[in-house]
Amino acid sequence: MLKKYRVSVNGQSYDVSVEELAGGPAVASAPVAAVSHAAPAPVAQPVAVPVAGGTAGSIKAPMPGTILAIKVANGQAVKRGDVLLILEAMKMENEICAPADGSVSQIRVQAGTTVNTGDPMIDLQ
Amino acid sequence: MNEKLKELKLRRDKISAGGGPKRVEAQHAKGKMTARERIESLLDAGSFTEVDAFVEHRAVDLGMDKTEAPGEGVVIGYGTVSGRIVTVFAQDFTVVGGSLGEMHAAKICKAMDLAMKIGCPCVGINDSGGARIQEGVDALSGYGDIFYRNTLASGVIPQISVIMGPCAGGAVYSPALTDFTIMVDKTANMFITGPQVIKAVTREDVTAEALGGALVHSQTSGCASLMFSNEQETLDGIRKLLSYLPQNNVEDPPVAVTSDDVKRSLPALAAVIPDAPNKPYDTRDVIRQVFDDGDFFEIQPLYAQNIVTCFARLGGKPVGIVANQPKIMAGVLDINASDKASRFIRFCDAFNIPLVTLTDTAGYLPGVGQEHAGVIRHGAKLLYAYSEATVPKITVIVRKAYGGAYIAMCSRHLGADQVFAWPSAEIAVMGPDGAANIIFKKEIDEAANPDATRKEMIEEYKRSFANPYKAAVRGYVDDVIDPADTRIRLATALTMLAGKRETRPAKKHGNFPV
Repeated sequence: MLKKYRVSVNGQSYDVSVEELAGGPAVASAPVAAVSHAAPAPVAQPVAVPVAGGTAGSIKAPMPGTILAIKVANGQAVKRGDVLLILEAMKMENEICAPADGSVSQIRVQAGTTVNTGDPMIDLQ
Repeated sequence: MNEKLKELKLRRDKISAGGGPKRVEAQHAKGKMTARERIESLLDAGSFTEVDAFVEHRAVDLGMDKTEAPGEGVVIGYGTVSGRIVTVFAQDFTVVGGSLGEMHAAKICKAMDLAMKIGCPCVGINDSGGARIQEGVDALSGYGDIFYRNTLASGVIPQISVIMGPCAGGAVYSPALTDFTIMVDKTANMFITGPQVIKAVTREDVTAEALGGALVHSQTSGCASLMFSNEQETLDGIRKLLSYLPQNNVEDPPVAVTSDDVKRSLPALAAVIPDAPNKPYDTRDVIRQVFDDGDFFEIQPLYAQNIVTCFARLGGKPVGIVANQPKIMAGVLDINASDKASRFIRFCDAFNIPLVTLTDTAGYLPGVGQEHAGVIRHGAKLLYAYSEATVPKITVIVRKAYGGAYIAMCSRHLGADQVFAWPSAEIAVMGPDGAANIIFKKEIDEAANPDATRKEMIEEYKRSFANPYKAAVRGYVDDVIDPADTRIRLATALTMLAGKRETRPAKKHGNFPV
């Protein structure tokens, strides 16, 4: 059912037609400024974990400190993320982990050794 | 009309074929998609509309008059990602090596201008041999036009650069000017001067991968925001990244539906933090428990790992998180961490994404190297970025917050709207050991047993000062909370701050300590 109305907004008059839809509420096509619609919430996408990279080689001290404990032995096979040694620095016991899978080829420090930034501590191959 | 339609189809098919089957095959053999395949994979299925397919170059020098370049070596247009519009450009390596000439650049500029006009993100996929040398200064002009637009669009629309092949010389500066640079492992390279030039000038021998591969830029230079192992994962990653971002700087970031109750209590959270203040833990374990569905999206995950920057949601609404990472280098603040965090903070502020800061740091990293490399001016970036930000800023002091690092990690003094501290927080002017040595120097020196006295004094200092209450007494900390309530307290504060309006003095722009 179509009904016609004349509406006046701020002195300006508009012709408006209203149609009643079966079973639904009436929908008016009023000449008002379009309401900006919020973007629909995006569907969460499965995402790949960024590649965590690393290479074997010499593990160097990231900051100055003292070696507290060595957690691996010469020749030992290690996996990426395994704790190699504990470096006490900035009053924290920092776990130094293997950046890649490999085996320990040389341990250049021992408990009590003080190291500076960039000093090699353990070699992995 | 039929004849004319036939001609249209012929012309379009030729352009869509790019550099032809042989070159497309070579592209595929390298594990790379073509420009059109990349766009199709990035956008919602069937949503891509191409623009400027018929553009041709007008160069005549050095044999260019006889060179055909279908589509001018770049595909541009628009489409949707999860129903939201984005404009895209993708360089086509199969057409004259994706080289950039006058009209190629004009197409890229059109995609950027369109994004600026309608206020939507612009995603650029780079795969190009560089400037089209035959076009001379016209090619240079093209790069300049792009850089200029990148800069004007900065902070207005999100700009994402994707590197899916070579990106060398002047071409690298467009990604550097955008908000995010995302690289594909093994197939993407970025450098100002390539291995051959370096060899000739400095005699250094280096491969393209070791010089400017995805890993190097993710881990060492910090020029890449993210890297993925292949092109499909990269494009999926961009879709996920876009899910946190508003379309432009006047819109709020998109709200997602979640079944994760904001009132969820976190009884296991306190156990993440070791009792001893010198033991590390992974701050991501805290983030995982607090935010929606244990999900977060890290930016620069391999660079300056002593600070974590990531997007996550709380009650469905995106937030940007900056968290010290005690697991890596004691969570110290250094040059790279300041650089990484301040850029992230500025992005969040530009795009109306509230900031949540989790503080637990051993302080600024001491060392000649840091001082000589300019930790003063680089560290200042963090102070500037936090102070400048007008989005809601909420800080949770989890454990250590001493001295300058306490101030820098979005303290009340830099304009945090709400500061919460866990009972484990230690907020003081400096750590107990150092403080005791200075304050009680006389007592320690004069004691019969200096070591025992020192220990005693350190304990005394810890009891009186290494806690959150001295700061709470002054109102620098708004509340000391049970870690289990962290989620609900953050959610309530964010809701309270939703209508935050804060203005800054009118100016052309500040002088950020770059």
